[in-house]
Amino acid sequence: MTTTADTLIPAIDITDNQTLAVTLEGKNILICKANGDYYAVDNQCTHQRAELSGGRIRNCYLACPLHGVRFDLRTGMPKGELTRVPLKTYPVSVAEDGNLHLELD
Amino acid sequence: MSELIKVKQQGEERCEGVSYQDLLNDETIEVPAYLREDNNPYMGNDDISVDRWISRDFHDQEKEKLWPKVWQMTCREEDIPEIGDHHIYEIVDQSIIVTRTGENEFKGFINSCLHRGRILRDNDGHAEEFVCPFHGATWDINGNFKGIPCKWDFSHLDEKDMSLPQVKIGTWGGFIFINFDENCIPLDDYLSPLPEHFSRFPLHDYYKGAHVQRVVQCNWKVGAEAFMESFHTLETHSEILTFTGDANSQYDTFGDHVSRSVTPMGIPSPHRPDVTEAETMRDILELSGRMATDSAEGHEMPEGLTARTYVAETNREMFSEIIGESLDHATKSELEDAILYMLFPNTQVWTGYHGNIVYRFLPNGDDHNSCIFETMILLRYEKGTKRPDPAEKNILRPDQAFSEAPEIGGLGPVFDQDDSNMAAVQKGMIASRKGAVSLASYQESRIRHLHQTIDKYLNA
Repeated sequence: MTTTADTLIPAIDITDNQTLAVTLEGKNILICKANGDYYAVDNQCTHQRAELSGGRIRNCYLACPLHGVRFDLRTGMPKGELTRVPLKTYPVSVAEDGNLHLELD
Repeated sequence: MSELIKVKQQGEERCEGVSYQDLLNDETIEVPAYLREDNNPYMGNDDISVDRWISRDFHDQEKEKLWPKVWQMTCREEDIPEIGDHHIYEIVDQSIIVTRTGENEFKGFINSCLHRGRILRDNDGHAEEFVCPFHGATWDINGNFKGIPCKWDFSHLDEKDMSLPQVKIGTWGGFIFINFDENCIPLDDYLSPLPEHFSRFPLHDYYKGAHVQRVVQCNWKVGAEAFMESFHTLETHSEILTFTGDANSQYDTFGDHVSRSVTPMGIPSPHRPDVTEAETMRDILELSGRMATDSAEGHEMPEGLTARTYVAETNREMFSEIIGESLDHATKSELEDAILYMLFPNTQVWTGYHGNIVYRFLPNGDDHNSCIFETMILLRYEKGTKRPDPAEKNILRPDQAFSEAPEIGGLGPVFDQDDSNMAAVQKGMIASRKGAVSLASYQESRIRHLHQTIDKYLNA
């Protein structure tokens, strides 16, 4: 079953290559913007469960601040050897009121 | 009175018909000195053993005496734009963290923890400090040791130099080079005369518009050599003969580390004497992948103009518009011809005002029968605007065609044709009963030059 979450976060408040950690439906979610698009992923690295907030975003890849694992924000797939477990991703859209809208399952 | 000494040149014969230097005589703009150089000293014509490409022993010699001694291109400065950004450069079994440590300062660290030897960084990326993922030994981005957990257990390290070992590092044209040999010659000497020849093409101001990589099943030198002569155009790329002066190409060597080929474009091959100017113009626009436009639609050549002039002028106009600068000083040759330099041992760069192709051929780890082929396209951007971000590297699977990388446009199908030879050359060399290759005296002279320089390193 899909749970949707209408946030009170105006999309325009997030700039490119910025991350924003939020708690939605009890989940620690990281909202990111890269190349003009919004993404939402679990705010927890699949290598050592470090928080990903504040990680560098470049070219649609988010890097974990702890050891540098990079995740493709579009798919959640990691690069390199430190982990092979993908990051959970959630569909994001901009609602009519300009706020971000997430689909959590 | 001094006497000019004429150095004996490689091969005495040249293709009949118009030479590159003849074409320069038709330029209406002052020809820069670097284009007038015509220099290919005699190197001999002996056969070359296939062992150099297929034997494990030769690979091991390169591993021991070549790669530890040469300057090698690692990445673009723009790939690591912020302090703390780093690129992991791997060559055979070595790994280097190429790091930006200041606005215009870079360092190269041996990517190995001084505690238990694990590689310190697994990926390209950004770091405030280098923390080993195994036990947490930590260095700052300048390589100074910051500590390790349970310091009480490491008092025996207090007297030791725990700074990360470094390699030599240098930059040219927006590329970052490293050298493992601390007694190596300075990068500027090694590059000469490349910087002078590229003075009209400030590559440090270009941005990387495309970067594609794929493993090819051949030795790295087989890959590099596929782009070091235009002789193969006749059989491998026959569809481009209507606009490529393949057999009229000029080949030059400059010292040990630099060579170039200049293949005139916008003229038909001497193998295709019956091609019309209109056909040359149409095909170069449609097929070359390097002109300002990739369609001949709407292009009518004015009466009395040659295809070479028409296409050069079209490029001049369209490139000027894109880069927001006048190209009135550019020769037709520079606007159109394939002027390709090789920097020993494995980097090749084209000149050009918009769309400079770069090739690199790296051994595929410690395997001498495969290599990593990379191509980048460096582009200019409108003066006064923000430099675009560099393209992310597109790593193709070994079973993918280069034409599946849309960002390299018309080059993809050309690379696919080259690719059809590269693995096949490796396979055929292994099967060879002759056990040697016989090079064309002039047209394949740059390959001989490459091997003679390799020998200088292996025999040093």
